[in-house]
Amino acid sequence: MSGDRAQDLPALLERRAPGAWELYRKRAETREADVTAQSRSDLWRREEGWAARWWAGGLRFACGSDRTKLAQAIERASDLPAREEPVPRLPSVEAVQPESGAPVDPPPDVFGRLAQLVAEKSRGEAVLASLALRRGRTVEEIRNSAGLSARVESGRLDGVARAVGRRASRGCEARTVFRWDSEPDLDAVASRLADGATFPLAPHGLSFPRGSLLLDPSVAAALLAAISPLFWTHPMPRWVKRSEFASRALTIVDDASADAPLDGEGTRTQRVVVVNEGALVARLHDLRSAASAGEPPTGHGVRPSYRTPPRAGPRRLFIETAQGVSPLELLKRVARGVFARAVTAPVFTDLERDRYEIEFTGVAVLAGRAMEPIAGARVSGRLSELLQRVAAVATDRQFFPIPDPIGAPTLLIERVNFE
Amino acid sequence: MEPEDKLVARWLDPLVTNLGDIAEVFIETRRRTVIEWRDGQAGEPRVSFEAGTSARLKRSGREKLAFVSGADELAIREAIRGLQASAAGAPSPARTSTARPEGAPDPTAERWVRRFPGILQRHAPRHRLRWTLEDVSRRVVPSGLPAAAWVRRLFSLEGTFVAASRRGDETRGFSFHAPEADSTADELKQALTSAAAPRERPAPFGSASADVLLSSGTAAILFHEILSHALEADAEESPLSRLTAARLSVSDLEVRDDPTRLDLFGGYESDDEGSRPRPVKLLDAGRLAGKLLDRAHGGPRGSTGHGRRAGPGDAPLPRGSNTVVSAGGATTEEMTRRLGNGLWIDEIESGTVELSSGTFRLRYPRARRVRRGRFADEVGAGLLAGEILPALEAIEPMIGHEVRSCRSLAWCSRAGQVVAVGGAAPDVIVRRLSVRDR
Repeated sequence: MSGDRAQDLPALLERRAPGAWELYRKRAETREADVTAQSRSDLWRREEGWAARWWAGGLRFACGSDRTKLAQAIERASDLPAREEPVPRLPSVEAVQPESGAPVDPPPDVFGRLAQLVAEKSRGEAVLASLALRRGRTVEEIRNSAGLSARVESGRLDGVARAVGRRASRGCEARTVFRWDSEPDLDAVASRLADGATFPLAPHGLSFPRGSLLLDPSVAAALLAAISPLFWTHPMPRWVKRSEFASRALTIVDDASADAPLDGEGTRTQRVVVVNEGALVARLHDLRSAASAGEPPTGHGVRPSYRTPPRAGPRRLFIETAQGVSPLELLKRVARGVFARAVTAPVFTDLERDRYEIEFTGVAVLAGRAMEPIAGARVSGRLSELLQRVAAVATDRQFFPIPDPIGAPTLLIERVNFE
Repeated sequence: MEPEDKLVARWLDPLVTNLGDIAEVFIETRRRTVIEWRDGQAGEPRVSFEAGTSARLKRSGREKLAFVSGADELAIREAIRGLQASAAGAPSPARTSTARPEGAPDPTAERWVRRFPGILQRHAPRHRLRWTLEDVSRRVVPSGLPAAAWVRRLFSLEGTFVAASRRGDETRGFSFHAPEADSTADELKQALTSAAAPRERPAPFGSASADVLLSSGTAAILFHEILSHALEADAEESPLSRLTAARLSVSDLEVRDDPTRLDLFGGYESDDEGSRPRPVKLLDAGRLAGKLLDRAHGGPRGSTGHGRRAGPGDAPLPRGSNTVVSAGGATTEEMTRRLGNGLWIDEIESGTVELSSGTFRLRYPRARRVRRGRFADEVGAGLLAGEILPALEAIEPMIGHEVRSCRSLAWCSRAGQVVAVGGAAPDVIVRRLSVRDR
């Protein structure tokens, strides 16, 4: 965004909203391979997007796929009505990372290897149906009227895989999303797919109504993602008691320092302990929510796309595992219960009404030993009770893109009613 | 400046080397206006002007797609270049980008901004609603076929509002999606009036197998899930994929997928591969009749005009458009009497289908219990579930005579690609669905 070409947009915004504007530019290049046993698609995308926010008798937002389109969108948005809103204090740091300019390599070709692993782990009952892998590099630039000038570059390798299990005339599908921050971890993906595609074909459901519940990291992460709006929404639902939000075993942190030094608004990234030993102690803020709460921003203005204005949200939310034990140790603690291996429907929560529902497939556990697979089970009830019943966390934390990285280990929850 | 279609087609021609190769350029411009309405006050206006171009080459089981932002000559050349380094004869970018002016005031958006306070004040004065007006313009230049272009203007209003009911104020969801037309305002007012009607306190339903009457066009959502998705040409795991011409349901039932219905949300004049769309009978007199085809799956029959993309950055997939169920002959009263005991549902929030297991789910925000053919108590939010083949077998051979547009059916996601869909249906009774509270 530096250079002469972008000079007219700040001037346009300064005329529209003196001292109260922000300009954002995103450039992304991705290479994606969508592979099945019969077909392969290679997609290359080079995307550019521009966005602006400004406060002139209210907040307005415009975006465009180039500078000219953004300028036109700014003109149009300026003519539309907006509610009065005070201007938040805009950050003024200067943090311009040099661009690597490195080419984006195609994602690794791992379909064959993953297919083999899925077949092995499912004893031939599941096949890998599709694998979409995407490698990308993004450069984000932000300027504002307070003098902020920032450029952040980030890269990622993520994907989604789907497997289909068959047993006689019955079939079942499992889908898993993953993100690899280092080397591809095919083993974990294959295990999750094999179990998710074959456990629901088990002949039996659950035979006992009550017991302990072990959540696989993927299921625990889905639950954490579902409740995460509690960490930034306002006002808080009435059932939430800050000091007794969850059991003392739970500490939840957001820390995206390793991903990017700044958030989508230019505020410095920081580690925020949201839940400390069960007590809800902090809220994730973007600039607007911080201004309305009278608190400093925490660096959690997220931009899922240049098409939407930044909003408060988690950037790398995870359950702390410093006090954790090994997953095997957790298994041994279960006298009677279920290991929930994969969700069979999206985790449902009604945060206002303190309700949740998790549908899953997994393995029955008796006297600390995994027994037979169970086709499906459901737990539902009050979220407040579920959070209080988290008895222990393991050390095997894994991150899942939902869509921002959410990290969770195996969780042990006690005294759960199964349906 | 946009180059002539013939010139673009000429750039593509060197890429097509085998019979059956598909090569095309896809160009989209999209203008979107979004306003958050809170209790009659407009806020946080958002305007976006975007353009994107992609070039695609499909040869046997291999497909390549290159996407770049922009919709001018430079973008087209760059997308084609990006397809294949070995693209002999493909042009190299030589000119600078010159974007077309698009910032002219939009009288439609301004007219709606002026009308909304009055409409909302009258029908739902306390609300949190998001209004979106989206102009989508698409142009497809295929190699060896005529180019096609079309424009759609889509209107959406969704969110929540506070309704006075016999149990006091309650927050209700609202979702209305339609192509923008002269009749949209009247239809919207009608939908708001209906959504704000007084209601009783809902009682729990529990969990049981129940007969269900899908009213107010909501049967379109059921058939979108269990027929439209199941008959997409690439749905190899679908339980319907190997049942050619099998009788699956009552002979009174005819369901088609009709992209030519431009009055419905999912309509279009050309699909995203440049093929002219045609209505496809999915069920004809209860028998399985046709599949939804794109160019890659069309074979000698050709595409049915169902090759669709979420945007220029995505490859086309065979997808449904508008699910339309033909009228029967029964009145609402006759349908309710025929139901006997069961649930009457006139609103469905969302639906899903899993083709490998052949199971589907529909979520409803409320329902009405019917006892001995008469309306009884209100029932709260719940979930309908079933399997595709048994559900089709369990459809009652009495279909309602009035076909209604389902304005809550709007966006369908598959493999991360979201496309506009719509539907219209008469009242339909399905026996023995699994129902439980949510």
